[in-house]
Amino acid sequence: MIKTCKNNKLSLSLCITLALCGAASANVTDKDIANDQVTTHDVVSYGMGLKGQRYSPLSMINTSTVKEMRPVWAFSLGGEKQRGQESQPMIKDGVMYITGSYSRVYAIDARTGDELWQYDARLPDGIMPCCDVINRGVALYGDLVIFGTLDAKLVALNKDTGKVVWKKKVEDYKAGYSITAAPIVVKGNIITGVSGGEFGIVGKVRAYNALNGQLVWERPTVEGHMGYIWKDGKKIENGISGGKPGQTWPGDLWKSGGAAPWLGGTYDADVDLLFFGTGNPAPWNSHLRPGDNYFSASRLAIDPDTGKIVWHFQTTPHDGWDYDGVNELIPFDYTDKGKTIKAAATADRNGFFYVLNRENGDFIRGFPFSDKITWASGLDSNGRPIFVEAGRPGNPMDSKDGKEGKTVVAAPSFLGGKNWMPMAYSQDTELFYVPSNEWEMDIWNEPTAYKKGAAYLGAGFTIKAINEEYIGVLKAIDPKTGKEVWRYKNYSPLWGGILTTGGNLVFMGNPEGYLLAMNAQTGEIKYKFNTGSGIVGSPVTWDMDGEQYVSVLSGWGGAVPLWGGDVAKRIKHLNQGGTVWTFKLPKNYN
Amino acid sequence: MKRINRSWLRYGLICSLAFSSTGFARSYDDIIDSKEITVAIYRDFAPFSYQIDGLPQGIDVDVAQHIAQQLNVELKLRWMTADENVEDDLRNNLWKGHFLKRSVADLMLRVPYDKAYSQMRDDIGELVHEQVHMFAPYHTESWQIIYNAKQIETVSTIAVFQYHNIGVEVDSIPQFYLTSAFGGRMRESAKHFSSIPLALDAMSNGEVDAAMGLRSQISHFQHSLDSKQYPLAENAFPMMGRQQWDIGMAVKTQHRQLGYAVGDIVEAMIKQGHMEKIFAHYHTLYQVPDLYLPEKSHP
Repeated sequence: MIKTCKNNKLSLSLCITLALCGAASANVTDKDIANDQVTTHDVVSYGMGLKGQRYSPLSMINTSTVKEMRPVWAFSLGGEKQRGQESQPMIKDGVMYITGSYSRVYAIDARTGDELWQYDARLPDGIMPCCDVINRGVALYGDLVIFGTLDAKLVALNKDTGKVVWKKKVEDYKAGYSITAAPIVVKGNIITGVSGGEFGIVGKVRAYNALNGQLVWERPTVEGHMGYIWKDGKKIENGISGGKPGQTWPGDLWKSGGAAPWLGGTYDADVDLLFFGTGNPAPWNSHLRPGDNYFSASRLAIDPDTGKIVWHFQTTPHDGWDYDGVNELIPFDYTDKGKTIKAAATADRNGFFYVLNRENGDFIRGFPFSDKITWASGLDSNGRPIFVEAGRPGNPMDSKDGKEGKTVVAAPSFLGGKNWMPMAYSQDTELFYVPSNEWEMDIWNEPTAYKKGAAYLGAGFTIKAINEEYIGVLKAIDPKTGKEVWRYKNYSPLWGGILTTGGNLVFMGNPEGYLLAMNAQTGEIKYKFNTGSGIVGSPVTWDMDGEQYVSVLSGWGGAVPLWGGDVAKRIKHLNQGGTVWTFKLPKNYN
Repeated sequence: MKRINRSWLRYGLICSLAFSSTGFARSYDDIIDSKEITVAIYRDFAPFSYQIDGLPQGIDVDVAQHIAQQLNVELKLRWMTADENVEDDLRNNLWKGHFLKRSVADLMLRVPYDKAYSQMRDDIGELVHEQVHMFAPYHTESWQIIYNAKQIETVSTIAVFQYHNIGVEVDSIPQFYLTSAFGGRMRESAKHFSSIPLALDAMSNGEVDAAMGLRSQISHFQHSLDSKQYPLAENAFPMMGRQQWDIGMAVKTQHRQLGYAVGDIVEAMIKQGHMEKIFAHYHTLYQVPDLYLPEKSHP
């Protein structure tokens, strides 16, 4: 069947293609998603498995063969609209599904690179996404391709035609909400967070029936807000997040607390929990909100059936540096004194790497993965940071004379020791591959500021490289010891995801445009290919017709080009783009 | 997420060359020739610029209309979605355009007229606002408290808000002030709303005893309330850096000829009392900027 499909030309009508491929183009089931990590012929979840380990056992392409890898096709996203391409491709039955910047979706013949269909969301006038017009990918379920839009909607498209099957407004874009993360499907529900932390929003994680878009539950990520569950079409109160308002927030600031879960989440079937990270608290000036400000800058374990918070772990209590806690929490098991530990790991914006017990959220260990951390001197036995109070930016209200306050140098910068770009975990090397950046920031109070014609007190920021030779560092980290096994330094900041394989390889793209493959044990570069624009997407691998493929999106953008100073010097010559590159070994290669 | 960053203006300058040439800010001659001017105003921002049943209303709309009339051109409005600060709005709407909508206006209203601001330099000493020319202050803005006289006898000092709650807009100076001045003694009293109209609704519903916001907004909305029950307070705002500031306009820096023409029109509007009439029409307190006061001489 697959062979028959292979020679299809685009000139054949889609229904003929479907007829020929019958069994091959089956719907995506819960089982397909649950097994995604071990089935190598498809990629049907963000993270290549709901755990988000981004590990494939495939080994045809390996440290000795990878040098022969070459592109088989490239697909242009077209149009005038380029900017950052942060998508992770999905593969099912020889079809690749990707998202592009400006809320576009494409279905592509994975063998030829021919376009099958394209969907362009109509974006309303006046949306104001914070950090570029990116999207990180689709979810697949049944015969649907589901993604979130910049105007905060979930859209489900028919996988064969690209036509809209259902569309749901998740939040009001006019209030500052948007969606850029890839949703995930767990037990038939599509689960998504929202972006928009700076506008006084309240973060929420929501589950919808993936087939029809009906809301199943919603869980606010800020202490004090009521969660809901829908039963037989009825909205039922389902407990206040954190029990009651006002425990870790002064006054009524919990009402506009931020904590947006903007990067989506992971899921582990072993413990049957969703793991979502949450953004920084609002307002940005930490002096206005003494307290820990739950559940900002935290990891939340959520019951996938009810939306109840089962446990939480806060990485940056009382955040004053914009250290979002959204980073992916990746479940993994390891053996300690003959005992299997059900752990999960996360590399935080704040520069620390945490290993948690994923059953109950207990802190197992934590250590810095950033070379320089100024805001905390370490973690205590519960994983709580030991603050360096001099490292906290001042209160702008203290500048009564209208002069700039003192400048505080904070490392990591607010773009984080690690930003959104997902790390990977190899079951072979038992190492995490963490795409990180070594940068710091100057922060000062800015009394001469205005907002919408009103006087305002802002903060000025400049991001600076810590080292002349590099900002980006890919680090291979042993979660059991905290030891860094190897590092790869990159001149410009890293902003793309990692893939690791059974071929003892780590794949990664850089803003300079290269897709790189490295020896997973040593970091030695084994392959390098210039894709023509910066890579900020996440590579994937799968096998098809007995061959292993690798794909990655190329297209420079994301939040980094929005900031200047030292960083701008390093990246201003990088050109925009929008291309999917797909690679394999030559057919006759032995 | 991002907030204020001055240095990205420099990077933006490089990018702007790549944008299409349609919808660029134009010279005075081009505006007169084409018989139309595009003026940028904020959306949903009563009493300055808003829509009722699709019809543009407000002080800034009327001011823009008058300028177009005097130039003898047709007025086109560009409704701005406010970004995080005025630097962003100037970039998105006047000199570069937003990446979702690659066009700009010829003239932008509600831009601060403040020498320290227009001459502000970034961390490496470059002018932050070198792309724009700010001019024509048309009113002086300030902060104002309104209160429910049935709940609070009088607001002689800000100290009463240790005992009475008060509505403020999220992420505004009144919020910063009430939640952090005097060691945070008024922090528990500050109740947060996403806009001033919502804070005033809460005051009329009895949820809060007072509200603090822009004087223009507060005085405008007071008109629809019983002004006996909801008087404007006359308190001072100790410990607050900037008590009042001027609001003017901006054009792209190379189109100063347009700026001079519009500046003359605005000055005449103020001197002939037309500006005050527009404010009065919207029941908004008006204060003439110092620049036009006769006792002061200006170069």
